[in-house]
Amino acid sequence: MNSSQLDTISVKTSDNVTLGYSVAGLGSRLVAQILDNLVALPITLVAILLYSALASVFVTSAQGTGFADAGAGFFAGFVYFGYFFVAEVVTGGKTPGKGAMGLRVIRVDGSAADFGALAVRNVLRIVDVGAVLIGIVIMFFQPQTRRLGDLGAGTIVVRDRAMVSLAAAVAPPPVILRTPDAGPTIDGLDHIGGVERDALRVFLSRPGLSPKLRADLAADIAKRLLDRLGLPPSAPERLWPPELFIERVYLQLDQLHP
Amino acid sequence: MSLDTFIAERQGRWGALEAAIKTAKRGRLRNQSASDIERFGLLLRQTSSDLAIARRDHPDAPITEYLNTLCARAHPLLYRGRPWRLGAIAPFFATALPRSFRAAWPYIVTSLGLMLMGFIAGWLAVDLRPDLRASLVPPSLFDEMARGQIGTGVQDAPFAAAFIIQNNIRVALICFAGGMLLGIPTAFLLLTNGWMLGTVAAAVHLGGYDFQFWSLIVPHGVLELSVIVISGGTGLMLGDAILRPGRLRRGEALARVAVRAVLLALGAATLLIIAGTLEAFVSPSSLPDGVKLAIGAGVGVLLYSWLILAGRAPRRRPGFAFDRPAETPA
Repeated sequence: MNSSQLDTISVKTSDNVTLGYSVAGLGSRLVAQILDNLVALPITLVAILLYSALASVFVTSAQGTGFADAGAGFFAGFVYFGYFFVAEVVTGGKTPGKGAMGLRVIRVDGSAADFGALAVRNVLRIVDVGAVLIGIVIMFFQPQTRRLGDLGAGTIVVRDRAMVSLAAAVAPPPVILRTPDAGPTIDGLDHIGGVERDALRVFLSRPGLSPKLRADLAADIAKRLLDRLGLPPSAPERLWPPELFIERVYLQLDQLHP
Repeated sequence: MSLDTFIAERQGRWGALEAAIKTAKRGRLRNQSASDIERFGLLLRQTSSDLAIARRDHPDAPITEYLNTLCARAHPLLYRGRPWRLGAIAPFFATALPRSFRAAWPYIVTSLGLMLMGFIAGWLAVDLRPDLRASLVPPSLFDEMARGQIGTGVQDAPFAAAFIIQNNIRVALICFAGGMLLGIPTAFLLLTNGWMLGTVAAAVHLGGYDFQFWSLIVPHGVLELSVIVISGGTGLMLGDAILRPGRLRRGEALARVAVRAVLLALGAATLLIIAGTLEAFVSPSSLPDGVKLAIGAGVGVLLYSWLILAGRAPRRRPGFAFDRPAETPA
């Protein structure tokens, strides 16, 4: 979400809200490419075989054989590059390989890649692949892993982030307990209730407290709790370490007030 | 507002947007009713304003990441360019292609200039350096001239046509794509194509076979060379956008030009199907040379009337001020 991070881009939408997209890395781009090749190369092979079969039936001269052989080579190229073009146009920027890797082509302004943009990035694939794989070199140095075709088309390949479910997003953070054991029953818990339980929960689920601060806070909270519970000076609970005491109170309260 | 009330008050519409995203097929909202799409737009605007609030008030809460993912998914469903339809092909050739041809004229003229430079250089090389002639011109050409007949008939013309068409489309697309390398490969292709034609034309001229030679070139060459010049022009457009982006960032300048250029290049490349068919069936045929030249001239007149005249805005009669289209400020 921070535009200074290399692996995300920020897009300002027309509603003036900034959206964060995760940029697909070189590795997943290349794996997607390999997966697509597993589809594209067999299709290309079939195309060559069909072309040659057609030629072997109809060609009658040596000159014609030369034309047919050279033509088959070009045809293979068109089918191979055409696969990516057609697949991206049909799926809206998600070839089968990209789909499998959870990648997607979008325009740098966050809108969907349209026909024109997909045409540019696929015709420019000729340079990216054809000119000694310059595309991979450029992707390696380009901060957003864009190849020449992406730069020309104003597109970028992003990762579809896994959809966090709303329930998971709104669930309270987990309680960090040192002992999951509720311990012996504490007297006087009927003096306190759900409100105190929630307050203890906030303390217990708070990450990143330094050990010293956590211990100080725990001692303070434990002292107040002991007073609220009205425990006698001789009560064994007073001898427990403050954090253990808080955890046990929390666990027992949680059972009383589900 | 506390995080809990924020979520409790607004999670209804987030769930609704989530459900609406799931109904999109293949990244599109097609096949949905107008009111559904309108509702989608409303939900997206509301949710993205919730995202803005969450970013400000709870930057590290998981809900902010949730809202970002939700909006990032929904945004491209609503914001997109024109969809690709088969029905868009006819208007593209009728108006859009000639218009972008005319808009690109400085680049196309430059491209033509490069090809002519190659042609003149090739011609001069053959003319001025008799000692290099044998290496500049294919020797078979001299044999053919000695026999009194240049150009041999083409056998298996359909496969010849397929070969020629594919080769020329390949060259045209490389001319465009070469623009990404500052147009250097583009210029190189234009110069060498002109050079090859120039050397052969000069050799034929020295042998006195001009008429026969041009009757072999012109029927398809008018179309073929025009397309190569046009696609060369599109490559130069890209190169120019990279070299002189003006007030835009280079990437933006490039992306703006590239979509127009690629459609011009692809559209022009389809004409190579006609050119290649002529090259395999008409140019080497036994038709009288005069007829072949006439065919070439006819194709040229059709091509350029279309490119120059089609898709012009009808000239309006001056009327009231509000009748006229608003003038764009200079």
